[in-house]
Amino acid sequence: MNPEPSLRSSTRLALAVGVSLALTCAVLAIFSADFWGALAQFFIAPFSNRYFFGNFLADAVPLTIAGLGVLIAFRSKNFNLGGEGQLYSGALVAGILALRLGSGTNPLALWIMVSIAGALVGAFIAAISGALKAYRGVSEMISSFLLSAIVMNVIDFFITGPLQDPASNFQTTRQIAARLLLPKILAPSKLDVSAFLALALVVGIAVAAERTRFGFELKICGENEEFARYCGIPFTRYSIGAMAISGGLYGLAGALLVIGSQGRVMRGFSSGIGWSAISVALLAQGSELGIVPAALFVAFLGSGSNQVMIGSGIPSEIISILQAVTLFFITAQALPRFRRRRNA
Amino acid sequence: MSASSSMLIDILKYTVAAATPLLFASMGGLFSELSGMLNIALEGLMGIGAFFGMAAAGLSGSLVIGALAAVGAAVLGALLMGAMTIRLRANLFIVGLAMNLLSGGITAVLSQWWYHTKAVVAFSLASPQVVFPHILQAIPLIGPIIFAQSWFTMSSWLWALAVAFIVRTTRHGTRIRATGMNAAAVAALGFSPDSSRRAALVWSGIGSGLGGYALGLSISAFVPNIVSGRGWVALVAIYLGQRKPLWIAASCLLFALAESLSNYIQGFSTIPPLLVLALPYAVTLISLIFAKKNAR
Repeated sequence: MNPEPSLRSSTRLALAVGVSLALTCAVLAIFSADFWGALAQFFIAPFSNRYFFGNFLADAVPLTIAGLGVLIAFRSKNFNLGGEGQLYSGALVAGILALRLGSGTNPLALWIMVSIAGALVGAFIAAISGALKAYRGVSEMISSFLLSAIVMNVIDFFITGPLQDPASNFQTTRQIAARLLLPKILAPSKLDVSAFLALALVVGIAVAAERTRFGFELKICGENEEFARYCGIPFTRYSIGAMAISGGLYGLAGALLVIGSQGRVMRGFSSGIGWSAISVALLAQGSELGIVPAALFVAFLGSGSNQVMIGSGIPSEIISILQAVTLFFITAQALPRFRRRRNA
Repeated sequence: MSASSSMLIDILKYTVAAATPLLFASMGGLFSELSGMLNIALEGLMGIGAFFGMAAAGLSGSLVIGALAAVGAAVLGALLMGAMTIRLRANLFIVGLAMNLLSGGITAVLSQWWYHTKAVVAFSLASPQVVFPHILQAIPLIGPIIFAQSWFTMSSWLWALAVAFIVRTTRHGTRIRATGMNAAAVAALGFSPDSSRRAALVWSGIGSGLGGYALGLSISAFVPNIVSGRGWVALVAIYLGQRKPLWIAASCLLFALAESLSNYIQGFSTIPPLLVLALPYAVTLISLIFAKKNAR
């Protein structure tokens, strides 16, 4: 963004990644009986066979899509705290559509419809927060969080009530017909073709940011609100639009999970993706193409933690510690102007 | 006494008890909010308070030592946040996010290490009952609802009173409020806005630590995700209460009432409990929309 600290930002990034990996080793050394075994499990297991590798890549897919959404909101100086609810609502809409339309539907038509519907719902919810900020001066962080809390409770009600699968012991909707689910790649892992869509979105949005008027003007809005207004750029519209795109990508990520690896909408299945996507966007340091390695890194820490938990009894929650430390190191300058804006 | 009135008393009694952690945390969070900092880490600091408070109480057998440990651990967390945001000029929102993650991670890992479980860690703690005079307990409605609460619930209201007093009348409170309104003016008067901000974070640590400890004591156990969103509720209550101590306390009661109703109406009513839980958030959002445009 601003040219001056760009060198330092890459140093910080290296520091954040390096320290979190070193901390991983330290935690493993303290808590595991067999340090080298645990170390190998953490770092090598995600690559050890098709199944683990595919699952690791599959975890990165929603993080990539939602991370892009967070990044675009950042561009317009918006903090979208409602990602969990937007993702969940995209998932619910996708689930309802797929279950209602039934197994006779053309799969391709269903995937397109479900993706658009999920994205629209997420976009609508986030756009409300954008509009409230623009017209009523309500902090978008608070309103997006509140909307998300409302939406999540209402969706929980639908999943455990009218949509509950009577045959299941879990709080979940019925299973979507197998032929309506996205084709798998790297079977038997849960990776599916939504990975290609995620990559296409990254490239598409990166190009749009560089080459289109919208991308250019959005960048100016993010860098200097007054300058943007002075140039006649409709700042308010861009701010709301960026929130809507952000929510739309969250909703899309939720919809793809439902017609992809999940196959149904379980209560609380969004847990954590919304927050992790924020880490991904911060790690990417404002670059669309950076989202891919950032999502892979966060997914790698996650699957490594899961592997270690299975092997050595170290709780998989160490991933939260690693993510927290990464954030601590990266934030000191990820968005340096934000504090001043709040206290101005 | 009829069945419906005894149920009403049950619901209200549970409401006052459920408001305890919210009251502690939101009154603490009021300080950071007044100093101009949106502290989204109340949730994480509550988790830290719950874990370390219960661990220390279980180890020592003393509820007071537990409370001190809960406050100490949460204040350390708040000071870390202060160092990050004030010294290193880090973004408070991201530091708060990181603190929430850190809290869940550290408590789970330590729970596994110390107690060899990530599930329920139960403590047998004898919680002394407050002995209220019979004449108070005999007051209809109020007696069985208010003069039947634990000493911790009673002290949460003392805490709320103390916070209201500090915020409104003391020099310390005034400086914190002034920092939130106009940090440059505070600096021009020769006071440090940064030390006010740090103090405000410490206050939010104290409140969150006690709030988390109250949660642990209420079930005499520590379980992962024991806070489960109450830190966020406490933050929202500050907004619903428009940063006024009395109204924040009322907001905490409203959220606690929703929790209490959602527990009790199952089987009694056709209103789905999960929708009841969504209501206070909707009320908060509406109140923010119709509040006069305020500075962010």
